[in-house]
Amino acid sequence: MNTYVALIKREFLDGQNGYLRVPVILAALSIFLVVVSTIGFGETIEFDGVFDDYEIENLGDALTEAAASKRGDEELPAAITLSYWVMAGISWVALPFVVFFSLLSALYEERRDRSILFWKSMPVDDWQEVLAKFVTPVFLAPIIFLAIAIGSQIVVALFLSIVVLFQGGPVLELWPLASMIGTWIYFATLYMTMTLWVLPILAWVLFVSAYASRLPIMWALLPPAIIMAIEGILFETTTVLRWIGIQLGGWQTYAYRDLNADIDGPADFLALVFGGLQWEALTYSLGSTQFWIGLVIAAGFVFGAIELRKRAT
Amino acid sequence: MTEYVIEANGLTKSYGDFKALKPSSFKVPLGRILGVIGANGAGKTTMLNAVLGLMSYEGDLSVMGNNPSKERGKLMQDVCFIADVATLPKWMKVSEVLDYVEGVHPRFDRARAMSFLDRTNVPQDRKVRALSKGMTVQLHLAVVMSIDAKLLVLDEPTLGLDIIFRKQFYASLLEEYFDENRTVIVTTHQVEEIEHILSDVMFIKDGEIILEAEMDELTQQFIEVMVTPGMEEEAQKLGPISKGVTFGKTTCIYKNIDREKLAELGETRRLGLADIFVATMTGEGQ
Repeated sequence: MNTYVALIKREFLDGQNGYLRVPVILAALSIFLVVVSTIGFGETIEFDGVFDDYEIENLGDALTEAAASKRGDEELPAAITLSYWVMAGISWVALPFVVFFSLLSALYEERRDRSILFWKSMPVDDWQEVLAKFVTPVFLAPIIFLAIAIGSQIVVALFLSIVVLFQGGPVLELWPLASMIGTWIYFATLYMTMTLWVLPILAWVLFVSAYASRLPIMWALLPPAIIMAIEGILFETTTVLRWIGIQLGGWQTYAYRDLNADIDGPADFLALVFGGLQWEALTYSLGSTQFWIGLVIAAGFVFGAIELRKRAT
Repeated sequence: MTEYVIEANGLTKSYGDFKALKPSSFKVPLGRILGVIGANGAGKTTMLNAVLGLMSYEGDLSVMGNNPSKERGKLMQDVCFIADVATLPKWMKVSEVLDYVEGVHPRFDRARAMSFLDRTNVPQDRKVRALSKGMTVQLHLAVVMSIDAKLLVLDEPTLGLDIIFRKQFYASLLEEYFDENRTVIVTTHQVEEIEHILSDVMFIKDGEIILEAEMDELTQQFIEVMVTPGMEEEAQKLGPISKGVTFGKTTCIYKNIDREKLAELGETRRLGLADIFVATMTGEGQ
């Protein structure tokens, strides 16, 4: 157990710029933007036609008005939850890049700087090393990013609460806890399902990092591109490209085919998300042959990376 | 009964047609300091990499009863190595290196490592990248000397270091680490610096072990004679393995010839390991 903790900790330290600094800086940036725009609210931002029968001078007024409106009970918590995601969600933009480049350097840098000879002088098996280098970016990094997103949503909510408290509005309306927590859980589970679909591609990147003697990024991108080009020229088909597209997220087009997409307002959207999307994503995936084939391919690449690590010096 | 740390039988490594290591059989007992000496590309590192489970090989090899190519992880509980200078991860802080080793190695004694480091100028909060070459080696040595291993392999551990560090390195290795329950294997080009600490020596040439001996025995076998003028013919008859000229006098190196007999030819002296190595490599003394 100690070994795994030490390995994961080492991987985290090695990649802490991507795993921690980048999302924290982006979160701080988005909180800053929220603060700036809140200070300008009612002064520079106009809501033409939205609140026409009321004098809106600040956020507190807007909130009071919204809560009192006809559909306020239903829509306001959902609207606030979603706006927190918008206000504190920029960090996620960085995650795919962090995961990709962490995997690309995972088994490459240690060979380049010869530190592999130090790691190999420790009683740690190659499969343990490779798994730690796979699990950290693929599963641990999203957890850290989600924690930072949750943290910054709470900071934004606290900040807005203080503003509204001074302006004299309904502060409690800013804390729709049930739907906030709901979206966190939803996000985590959907993200994991998506990760499992992308797993063969991520495992390919890890394999490349164990194989490439130089320029791993070329090795990661060129072979699939060449295969696609050859397929296109010889057979005039795009099977490989379509396969990659589906693994990368295209599967969701099929998964949600039967869902009622008639959305009227934020409450409908959240209801759809909780009631349908998540469940459909999971059942569709578990019943999809391509999903399982993808996992087998992923296991193959990870196995290949372990075998290459055993031989590497 | 002698306990062996390494037992190799027909150990071979080939790259296509090229045999980096020709079939070699050897045993290394516990409680020795073995110097493996050979020119660049002779196969020293190949042999050690096989022993350390860093590469595949043919033949039988058992290190502390383990098969290195299959059980490297397990093997490293009892075996430690410094394969080269500067293999410590440069992005880690000194304290993080210690944390990591403490986390993965059950036989690592952190307090011991700290007491080694306290005697050096290695700063704990600095990254390895920011350490001088000498400090990096001191750190690495502090780590391996605090691991209770049976076999320590040092492959050119002092390459590129200045002489003071090299002397200190071998001194602390001998005084504070080595005992009868451990074996140390060293390869280096600076043969003179290690010959006084070695108990055994192995010469490798072109992928072949051409000599295996205990140091005491070896240095008695080789005698250099500065031949008295006029005795050259007699000297030649005794079959020197190597001949040279120093200060206008002929010098001959003999292997396994009685010292008293040689004394009749001229002034005799024992050879250093480096000279024995050169004589063995260039002469017919194999």
